[in-house]
Amino acid sequence: MRKHSPTRRLTLITMLLAMSILMHMLEPSLPIPVPGVKLGLANILGLITLILFDVKSMVLLNLMRVVIASLLRGIIFGTGFWLSMGGVVFSTIITLILYKTNKFTPIGLSVASSAFHGLGQIVVLILINQTAMMIYWLPLLWFSSVPTGWITGNISTQVLKRLKA
Amino acid sequence: MNRYDKFLIIFILISSVVLYGTMEWFVRASTSEKVVAIVTYREEEILRIDMSIDDTYVVQGTLGEVFIEVKDRALRVEKETSPYNLCSIQGWVEFANVPIVCLPNHIVIMIQNTKSQPEGEDSVIQ
Repeated sequence: MRKHSPTRRLTLITMLLAMSILMHMLEPSLPIPVPGVKLGLANILGLITLILFDVKSMVLLNLMRVVIASLLRGIIFGTGFWLSMGGVVFSTIITLILYKTNKFTPIGLSVASSAFHGLGQIVVLILINQTAMMIYWLPLLWFSSVPTGWITGNISTQVLKRLKA
Repeated sequence: MNRYDKFLIIFILISSVVLYGTMEWFVRASTSEKVVAIVTYREEEILRIDMSIDDTYVVQGTLGEVFIEVKDRALRVEKETSPYNLCSIQGWVEFANVPIVCLPNHIVIMIQNTKSQPEGEDSVIQ
């Protein structure tokens, strides 16, 4: 990555955060025929931040995205907020673990992130509803994480290619 | 996409299929004749539906009434008031492994297989 001045770095991260909040808020309106399945467009910005900047920036961007978007939508500390937070925490952890191995491309990172986002949401749903039945959603979420992760991973790769050019 | 990505993708696909197969087998193995659907509002049971009777039920959710239809041992949310109507879009559900969760209305519908009590003498424990 190129060396950025602190001001330029702050500006870029803020712009990425603003875009990720926008994606987070616009995504539910995208028509996807399978209930509970989303593309995870906001994760693209997290992945770009990780590769362009560092781990700390990505973690902060992801957490701030969920908090600010929930504040704007008026669902802070509601069920939707905890679902998003659970998903983001799990997906961020697995992304960081795989990124540290230096063996995966943004597509692999995106697919893993998408799969663990679903797992995090299921864990939160089980804790909220106090029933293990919610685990039956997991195969569907894991299966759908491959196409959705592949799409977001490819978008991330293309964006990174142009940003680094 | 490198070979590690491909391994990861294959691992996720295989584990989702294995997970689904295990759950499906578990549900079918525990299936008995009497099937009921339990409707809860804010984690409290408000309605128990006999899945063998075709009918339409109405329960009160947080955002309004939730219409539940039972037909041919399958169940669906016919209509409800919510931002994205995910419950009604989900469609018909007939197995216990697929709960219907209407988050904005705080309504959860779960199908349960209840083992019917065998007729005849009670067992005696000595």
